[in-house]
Amino acid sequence: MDKKLLAVIKREYSERVRSKWFLVGTLIVPALVVATFLLPIYLATRSESTDKALDLVILDATGAGLGERVRANLLADPSRLGASTGDAAAAPAESAADQPDVQIVTSATLAQAESLATAAVMSKERVGYLVLDTNTVAGAFARYAGRNATTTSDLDRLRTAVRQSVTVAQLQQAGADPAMVNAIARTRVRMSTERITDSGRGGSGAASAMLGFGLAFVLYLAIVLHGQNVLRSVLDEKTTRVAEVVISSVRPGTLLAGKVLGVGAVGLTQQIVWVTLSAYLIQQAMAFIARSGGEAAAAVASGSAGGFLMALTGVGWETLGLLLGFFLIGFVFYAALYAAIGAMVNGEQEAQQAALPVMFLLIGTFLFVTEVVERPDGTIAQVLSWLPFSSPIIMPLRMTVIQPPLWEIIGSLAVGAVSCVGVVWVAARIYRVGMLMYGKRPGLRELVRWVGYR
Amino acid sequence: MTTSATARSGLPGAPPYGGAGPTSDLAIDIRNVVKRYEEHVAVRDLSLQVPRGAVYGLLGPNGAGKTTTIRMVLSIIAPDSGSIAVFGQASTQPGITDRIGYLPEERGLYKKMEVRRVLRFLGELKGLDGRTADRRIDEWLDRLSLRTEAKDWGKAKVDELSRGMQQKVQFIAALLHEPELVILDEPFSGLDPINAQALKDTVVELKQRGRTVIFSTHVMENAERMCDAVCIIARGEKVLDGPVARVKAEHGQRHVALTLAESVGDVRAAVAAVLADPALVSRVDDNNRAFELELAPGAEPQQLLHRLVHAGAPIERFELMHPSLHQIFLQRVGAAGADVTGIEQGMSGHG
Repeated sequence: MDKKLLAVIKREYSERVRSKWFLVGTLIVPALVVATFLLPIYLATRSESTDKALDLVILDATGAGLGERVRANLLADPSRLGASTGDAAAAPAESAADQPDVQIVTSATLAQAESLATAAVMSKERVGYLVLDTNTVAGAFARYAGRNATTTSDLDRLRTAVRQSVTVAQLQQAGADPAMVNAIARTRVRMSTERITDSGRGGSGAASAMLGFGLAFVLYLAIVLHGQNVLRSVLDEKTTRVAEVVISSVRPGTLLAGKVLGVGAVGLTQQIVWVTLSAYLIQQAMAFIARSGGEAAAAVASGSAGGFLMALTGVGWETLGLLLGFFLIGFVFYAALYAAIGAMVNGEQEAQQAALPVMFLLIGTFLFVTEVVERPDGTIAQVLSWLPFSSPIIMPLRMTVIQPPLWEIIGSLAVGAVSCVGVVWVAARIYRVGMLMYGKRPGLRELVRWVGYR
Repeated sequence: MTTSATARSGLPGAPPYGGAGPTSDLAIDIRNVVKRYEEHVAVRDLSLQVPRGAVYGLLGPNGAGKTTTIRMVLSIIAPDSGSIAVFGQASTQPGITDRIGYLPEERGLYKKMEVRRVLRFLGELKGLDGRTADRRIDEWLDRLSLRTEAKDWGKAKVDELSRGMQQKVQFIAALLHEPELVILDEPFSGLDPINAQALKDTVVELKQRGRTVIFSTHVMENAERMCDAVCIIARGEKVLDGPVARVKAEHGQRHVALTLAESVGDVRAAVAAVLADPALVSRVDDNNRAFELELAPGAEPQQLLHRLVHAGAPIERFELMHPSLHQIFLQRVGAAGADVTGIEQGMSGHG
């Protein structure tokens, strides 16, 4: 390879990697990934393991003993104890305060009992109270008031308990066999989703959508961050006037290429660290959770986290190669644009303004990500997969959600590569003239003239 | 750049240039070069030859096209027409710029980069390998007292250096690869007297080692003292060129350098009257104490001296001489040179 090109790449790479911002950026993303990965597990285990939600008063105005049934149902809730139901061994662990109290009231004393219960909740003795009356028995409605009235998981639990109690009561009223009623009451169905592709490989549907989002976001982030780094690098050489010495030693095209490749290599390094470090940390965290046992381990095993990892590990080398191709094309495309902008402005502020159109292209693309996840084969998704400024983000996203035909992927890559050549050519010519131009920012007409200069 | 005493200790590890590639007696051969911009013509039909081993001055007012010409020699920009050869080869030939060292007028370095790394990078861009570059950088840092027992500025970041130190670093960058041709664009602008002296010493030393040095300036005194040959350009056109001695000879020997001690009242008036006599003096450059006079046609120097003594002038110096480059410049470029400042503004955009 050209020794000078190598020198430029080396400088861009080593100066960047040596900076503390690189270190911060490289470590913070895996930390965020691990956090977003662990948070749902943490939240899940927290909401399911704390029994604060049980610390409530059941005001039973039904006169049919529905309150007791709901109480029993709540205590027997399997989610509290992982997969087991009615496990007696777990019962002693419950302190008395954590158990729901049933208060039998009449419709006459209900109002008074409610205000007492409200006071108890306000003084934090109780979390909330549940009102059951004849309406509830009739299958119409029940009322709950409490501090956790917005906590979905708590309310889901209450709702299920009440619904089941009412169902059982109605079944018994209809004369069903009590044993059978109990068996029905214990039925719990969980539904998991799985994705089916041409190759038949599965994976959780939600997880692959999540992976798609994540991938699109990482690509978007990498292109924005490192594209702007190219801009800053160009601008730095221009404003410090070191450009003139450099350009007297190396052709502008070589300098531009070295810059883009050097910064791109930094980006790639960073992403490799991101992925491997995140994977390693998640693995460690999972191992730790599994060792520590308990409900969290169960949540890991059954929750979306495992599916996400499955989807992640299900990515093959061919896919990885294609993804790399899309990243390179996207990065080079935008980096060249950013370099041209850096060469035509005189300062950071002007650069931000001038870079807005490029930002719009990127943000505009990203706005369609949700649409593409929902309708990965829709017209918008198809069109965006072919446009060179959006394909590097949209196509990898589609590849994780559905399996577009190979010819479309290759075609999109080819269109991207060809447009890259064009964009780089134009950018290099603008760069060459712009680097030594100080003063007013050129208009569109002047830019066209720059491209035409000998 | 350092004091003259250390400068004479020799350029670090620099063997005299032995010659490589197709031989040519000319370091630079520019023929009929034209560079046009939208608003103006920066260089029009310029031809000039710089012999090998010469110290060559490119003189002209601001905006005359000096920087544009230099940039074309370095292939930073391409001429619209005409040809430029460096050491007998087309200047666009790959590798030719590796034999040129360049100190641009607009100086700058990577601010956040370590001095040593900047120098190594710029050396590598000229084809130096890292180890050779490192060795020479050490020698240069020592020589320019940027590395002492107390402090190694080579390890500092560029923006921690004073302006004077940054200029030294820039100078090292231009000479690190031991170029056969050194181009200095307005090298004296912004230099303090000590660095300026060091620069002159280095130019002399480069010349002794057989290198070719081209520098552009609009300060004629520097050029007069240092250059073997000069080219004066104005408004993108060559006004004159040639060896300094010949240029001066061609402009006659009818100039008088006159220096007076401080004088007062009547004497001053009497002297002024003599100098104002059109029969004796056709042109006066009055610098308060020192004068450069051009004798009127037919007037004899003895006649002038006699009249001055008679007027009581306290003469310190009276010397018959060739006109100074400064006078020649004023004479040939003259008032026309003054109106190019407008072009200069445009130039800053297009160089």
